[in-house]
Amino acid sequence: MNVITIDDLVKRRGSKEILAGISFQARPGRVTGFLGPNGAGKSSTLRILLGLDRATSGTALIDSVPFVQLRDPLATVGAMLDGSGAHRARTGRAHLRWVARSAGLHRARVDEVLEIVGLTNAASKRVGSYSLGMGRRLGLATALLGDPEILILDEPVNGLDPDGIRWIRTFLRERAASGRTVLLSSHLMGELAETVDDVVVINEGRVVADGTLDEVVGAHRTLEDAFFALTTSGAP
Amino acid sequence: MTAFPAPATRARGPEAAQALAAELSKLVSLPATWLTLGGTLVVNLILAMAFTIAGLHGSTGTKSATDIGLASISYAQAGFVILGVLAACSEYTGGQIRTTLIAMPRRALQLTAKHLTLAIVVLPAAAITAASGVALAAGVLGDTATPVTSGHVAAALSGVTAYLALTTLISASVGALVRQTLAAVVIVLGYFFIAGPLLRDHTPAAKYLPDSAGFAMWFPVADNASAVTPAQGALLLMAWTTGLIVVVMLLYRRRDT
Repeated sequence: MNVITIDDLVKRRGSKEILAGISFQARPGRVTGFLGPNGAGKSSTLRILLGLDRATSGTALIDSVPFVQLRDPLATVGAMLDGSGAHRARTGRAHLRWVARSAGLHRARVDEVLEIVGLTNAASKRVGSYSLGMGRRLGLATALLGDPEILILDEPVNGLDPDGIRWIRTFLRERAASGRTVLLSSHLMGELAETVDDVVVINEGRVVADGTLDEVVGAHRTLEDAFFALTTSGAP
Repeated sequence: MTAFPAPATRARGPEAAQALAAELSKLVSLPATWLTLGGTLVVNLILAMAFTIAGLHGSTGTKSATDIGLASISYAQAGFVILGVLAACSEYTGGQIRTTLIAMPRRALQLTAKHLTLAIVVLPAAAITAASGVALAAGVLGDTATPVTSGHVAAALSGVTAYLALTTLISASVGALVRQTLAAVVIVLGYFFIAGPLLRDHTPAAKYLPDSAGFAMWFPVADNASAVTPAQGALLLMAWTTGLIVVVMLLYRRRDT
């Protein structure tokens, strides 16, 4: 259970092929790093997985069900995409409250997730006044509302200060240790090597490496070296 | 494609009620909602006062307090247009639409909840706005106004309330199509204040368009046999609104966000 399965995903916009047949899995109890340079197709894949965009062909399933057919999406999958995902004129708390209502969650849960991400003191401030890092924390709080078995995070360390990065690493490791599924995308290799168990590397809409961290690093010195060797065509 | 097994943890009834609660929470927690509604109420009262003073001085001839008190609505409706557009376009600020569709992935249900919520909020607001203008006119004019029956007042007020609510929903649909607040407001106001009146002067069929049909709901032109009656106007405007919402729904269900 709680497996994400991406199978031969293709996405074209006009004549541009954004995804050229992406396939991989993210399994429970593990943190899967979905890595690639900017524009490689990471966000497009995650958006199709979350039912925001439509694939040209192929499937992206959560426990063999497309996201849009999940009966209780918020309690199944927590997702954070770029930005806060919140309107700037609302307070952080008001944003979390409407999301909580959509799943029939108790409003006490809003205060719990604010506490988890360390936003309790800024909860009554407008989202427009938040720093980049605070916006990311609000996005993460939104993802955690339904206490989901699966977390899907697009560039979670972007905009976080070193403290925040250390915190999210520990947090994600704990989620995986408790048997949950974590899929995160990033273009920053150094930040991730200590956090991920499995690695999927994509470049120009194709998977160029897929395996455990050790398998993908292979003969290279670090994950970063492996990444550049895999994604830079013609580089030494 | 094969049929996917549906894990049943939440029934459809609660899901719809929760979508409605979420959309209501969104609308009432947006400061712009209250600014727009409050601003519209105040502007409408100021305009109603101006029309009433003009009525007292006889420059518009003797009329009932209802007619004078509602004259300002053709301008105050701009506030309801703005509210409808804001309700739809605010989704596209800060990437909120993604939060919305991740929380409520069944788009037809979510969009229906959004329109229903808007109607729930706008109906009392429109009734208060319209009634306050009429009450002001009646209070100032006193005995000088043409007396009207309470049935006539009630019919005019319910007509104008329904008109404003439907206009708000039409504006929300245009907002959902265009996704840009300013562009959507310009399109809807441009229609109501420029294109609509121009068409009305040049095409007899224009009386079936949303603006003229809507006016007929509360501003009956009695001396014209071929005119649209208030009931016909209401049906026409409802048909336009429903049609537009269906178009929006079909596009919204397929669109990348």
